[in-house]
Amino acid sequence: MSNQKKRSFQIEAFKHRVVVDPKYAERTWKIIEHAIHEIYNHNASGLSFEELYRNAYNMVLHKFGDKLYSGLVTTMSAHLKEISKSIEVAQGALFLEELNRKWNDHHKALQMIRDILMYMDRTYIPNTRKTPVHELGLNLWRDYIIHSGKIQSRLLSTLLELVHKERTGEVIDRGLMRNIIKMLMDLGSSVYQEDFEKPFLEVSAEFYKVESQKFIECCDCGDYLKKAEIRLNEEIERVAHYLDVKSEAKITNVVEKEMIANHMTRLVHMENSGLVNMLLDDKYEDLGKMYNLFKRVPNGLSMIRDVMTSHLRETGKQLVTDVESSKDPVEFVQRLLDERDKYDKIICQAFSNSKTFQNALNSSFEYFINLNSRSPEFISLFVDDKLRKGLKGVTEEDVEIILDKVMMLFRYLREKDVFEKYYKQHLAKRLLSGKTVCDDAERSLIVKLKTECGYQFTSKLEGMFTDMKTSEDTMQGFYANHPELADGPTLVVQVLTTGSWPTQATVTCNLPTEMATLCEKFRSHYLGTHTGRRLSWQTNMGTADIKATFGKGQKHELNVSTYQMCVLMLFNNYDMLSYKEIEQATEIPTSDLKRCLQSMACVKGKNVLRKEPMSKDIGTDDAFFVNDKFTSKFYKVKIGTVVAQKESEPEKLETRQRVEEDRKPQIEAAVVRIMKSRRVLDHNNVIAEVTKQLQSRFLANPTEIKKRIESLIEREFLERDSADRKVYRYLA
Amino acid sequence: MGIQKDIVKFNVGGRIFQTTATTLANAGRDSFFGALFDDNWDLRQHQPNSSQEFFIDRNPDCFAVLLDLLRTGDLYIPSNVPERLLYREAMFYGLIDHVRSAKWGPFDGNRLKLSRSVTGRAPGDGTAIRAGPDGGCCVAHGSMVHVFDWTLEEHPPINLDYQRVNDIGWVNAENVLISACERLGKGDGGMGLFNSSTGDLRHKFNVVHDNQTKSYTAGALSFSPDYKIFASCKGRSNEYGIGVWDQVTGKQMDFFYESPGWSLGDADKLQWLNGSNCLLVATLFPRKDNCYISLLDFREKRMVWSWSDIGALLTVDEKRVRDAIAMEECNSICVVNEYDDLGFIDLRINGGSVRWSSRSRLLKGKMPDEPCYPKLALHNGQLFSSMNDCISVFCGPDWVLTSRLRRSYGGSICDFSIGGDRLFALHSEENVFDAWETPSPPII
Repeated sequence: MSNQKKRSFQIEAFKHRVVVDPKYAERTWKIIEHAIHEIYNHNASGLSFEELYRNAYNMVLHKFGDKLYSGLVTTMSAHLKEISKSIEVAQGALFLEELNRKWNDHHKALQMIRDILMYMDRTYIPNTRKTPVHELGLNLWRDYIIHSGKIQSRLLSTLLELVHKERTGEVIDRGLMRNIIKMLMDLGSSVYQEDFEKPFLEVSAEFYKVESQKFIECCDCGDYLKKAEIRLNEEIERVAHYLDVKSEAKITNVVEKEMIANHMTRLVHMENSGLVNMLLDDKYEDLGKMYNLFKRVPNGLSMIRDVMTSHLRETGKQLVTDVESSKDPVEFVQRLLDERDKYDKIICQAFSNSKTFQNALNSSFEYFINLNSRSPEFISLFVDDKLRKGLKGVTEEDVEIILDKVMMLFRYLREKDVFEKYYKQHLAKRLLSGKTVCDDAERSLIVKLKTECGYQFTSKLEGMFTDMKTSEDTMQGFYANHPELADGPTLVVQVLTTGSWPTQATVTCNLPTEMATLCEKFRSHYLGTHTGRRLSWQTNMGTADIKATFGKGQKHELNVSTYQMCVLMLFNNYDMLSYKEIEQATEIPTSDLKRCLQSMACVKGKNVLRKEPMSKDIGTDDAFFVNDKFTSKFYKVKIGTVVAQKESEPEKLETRQRVEEDRKPQIEAAVVRIMKSRRVLDHNNVIAEVTKQLQSRFLANPTEIKKRIESLIEREFLERDSADRKVYRYLA
Repeated sequence: MGIQKDIVKFNVGGRIFQTTATTLANAGRDSFFGALFDDNWDLRQHQPNSSQEFFIDRNPDCFAVLLDLLRTGDLYIPSNVPERLLYREAMFYGLIDHVRSAKWGPFDGNRLKLSRSVTGRAPGDGTAIRAGPDGGCCVAHGSMVHVFDWTLEEHPPINLDYQRVNDIGWVNAENVLISACERLGKGDGGMGLFNSSTGDLRHKFNVVHDNQTKSYTAGALSFSPDYKIFASCKGRSNEYGIGVWDQVTGKQMDFFYESPGWSLGDADKLQWLNGSNCLLVATLFPRKDNCYISLLDFREKRMVWSWSDIGALLTVDEKRVRDAIAMEECNSICVVNEYDDLGFIDLRINGGSVRWSSRSRLLKGKMPDEPCYPKLALHNGQLFSSMNDCISVFCGPDWVLTSRLRRSYGGSICDFSIGGDRLFALHSEENVFDAWETPSPPII
């Protein structure tokens, strides 16, 4: 085919393609652009939403989304530049107001523009991953207004100045402040943080640094804390009124750091008003403030706790090592209890009953109570005193409270077995002399000890009570079987189980014949009913009531000890007796005899005997007479033995020795128990486990434990490992 | 009678409509009507008295349907209104979400009705179909993935260097993830993220081994709610195992290398278990000679549970596991064999055995010429299992068969998926997929 032919058959492209008017996009955009201008010029009432929406829709539909979007950016930017200028020229206080007004305008305009361009927002923007209209408007506002060179620093300084004014007591327009801050937050949390919060926190830190320095120079601790609390509350209130909620933690942090954390040591140790003074003066309110403020900063509470602990230990140490206070055990314990009550109250009222503070209190008490090795004895004496006389006319609840407090002190004791020893002695005395006031209180205390230390601890104490009860029954049985004895002197025997009671060397004295026969009768009665038992007489612990008639016929009933009775009975037959004669006749041990003679001859008002020569002390060559001139306004006269309530030094040593002796089998038992279950164990672990096991009773001394182990090895309960000398093996 | 003050009069494309502002308020603020009635736009200015109407230059028939939707919440499309037209108008008014949520009801496996069958052009057998979160779906055929939105309109197809697609998944309504085979020596294939409506590639995921980017074949996919992507991977040398990527940054976060004698990189199925924070990995016959099911804990880098049929007596051939799905509420894994028998493995016992349900229906002899392996799915306490050309629905603690979905056209079902309150089933013989949905609740 020729070229010409080809040309004649040429097919033309279909020319009537529906072409959108090339000016269409431009024209439509002009309409929308005009509308945006009108909206910014507050002239929107003449606009038709439907028309604008339709135009924007058509532009997107006909793929002019790019033009629409870029046009929007350009137009809005131009308007924001103008707005920026008008804000810049605003003077002084009008600056913020102008900014706020323009922001409101822009926000409203943005809303309307978004309405018009809703279709673009919905379709074009997600597919092209562009910024949605609303967010775009905010970003442009941020870039052209907030971050414009002339506004940014001015805005910040204005805001900070207003905050400063408010801090110094001036009233500011909080509503305006809130609006501006809200604007910053609307622009995104990073804008708020970078453009306001960060500098705000820095300025605040500086402000409070200066202020706290000023306060600490001129205020005492209590006042300072009050001021710090007020400032803290002010900042919290400020956040609630016009800042972002998230700023609260940050600004309080600043105040806490500047006002509290940085001055913590100085506050606590402030002269005449620091923590120690607050504790001394029971300033609950100030202490509470300090607790609540210091709680907010790291290490705040531990600092209070440390100072309190060291103060408490110091005062406690003085208390227990004070020679004066050691003279009166009751006073000593009472002071301990008072101290505890005081701190209990402080912790309860000011330190919100914090567990860690209670622990600190307990550990401090444990520390200093055990500084004085006589503490167990004193506590037991305190109980003794209370149970002997102190509880008269006190309600049952109060008794419980006192006993509970005593138990609290008891818990602090490391040498609980020493306490047990003393308690047993004191209880024995109370029971035998019939001095115990309240049986219920005694038993209640035993129950408390039992819950604290277990059955073992109190079984012997309970045994003592049982003995008392059975003795009563025995005596009734004895007199029922021997009606003929009703006329003679009355004998009351308390049969004590050996082991349950504090052991005493049995030194029997010669009883007067009347009594000796009576005792013999009782012995045969008792052994008749209980075969296989042995009775021995503890004459040193008895008492007697005797009727005596003196020179001018004055009659008295004398309440005396058994020893004293023996001595007095001698004077039924003699007018004068020498010391030697008395000693021979009664066979009372010398020290006891001296003591008992002293109490009858040398104590004013109780001197039923007369001594030659007249002197305070008893000599072996002295002679004794019945004091015919003895008078007393009471019919009943109680002649006490001169006996120290507190233990004398040798007695103390003796008790200590007995305690040490008692501990030996306990340590050995513990070692054997442990080795029996472990079979093989090294030295250090044995010591640790033994100490742990015996903790509830006493603090075992490692050297003592070592000695016990040696002894057990000797007796072939254990052996040393042949390879490692530090390892023990249990020998079954 | 009081005069209703909020009556609004519209002239839409020449037809007059009257309604109330209350009805229009149902459209919400982010719609044409919401903006129209906002205080910023003074409507009264255009309507000085109630006799004057507000003009909208749009199709009146569609406006009638949409106004009815706003009035009643019910969507009724008359036969003279094409759906496509209605959707376009709904887009204009910003009511497309209203239309979508009114179109079909909340998913219930026992009330499903076939909504539409869509025929595609792609050649060859389908690989996978995945339901999107908003009612759309994507279908993989060979190296192409076709994306359909919820109106079942097709969007531009997507591919990853024209490599064979192994699995697809919806990250969200806008993004689709594709895993594909590698092309030797070129670094093609692997895994990519695509815009679902435009088909643009947004991100290609890398596997890094010893600080070197490796080419790899990506297999089964899974996602976790804390924005992680899991994929089984087979690399050139050592990169066999499960890769983990961050959805936000697109960076590889972790790699669980498979241990000798245990297959992870070839996995047929991954499933993220939210309650136990584990990933289920199932590699099944016939991809491998044996079946391996395991749970991986990525925090401890440990296989916390595993099951395999290695060494099991294979006297009965039909008891080969073909698909598995973990059911966390029942503490068990449900498996299925090629005869649609369900079996259960206890997740609380390591190394337990399969308890096959006695519901066994022996289909020997009735098998179609080109059988597809059964698939399992779990949705709201209902268990779905595909077999040949139908899908069975099981309910209750004992998994009773309650419904069966069947459509004769298109041959066996090779894959199905539930999501966006719809069920999509892909047939293997003809290039057809079905969309099943629950009708709106009855009027009375």
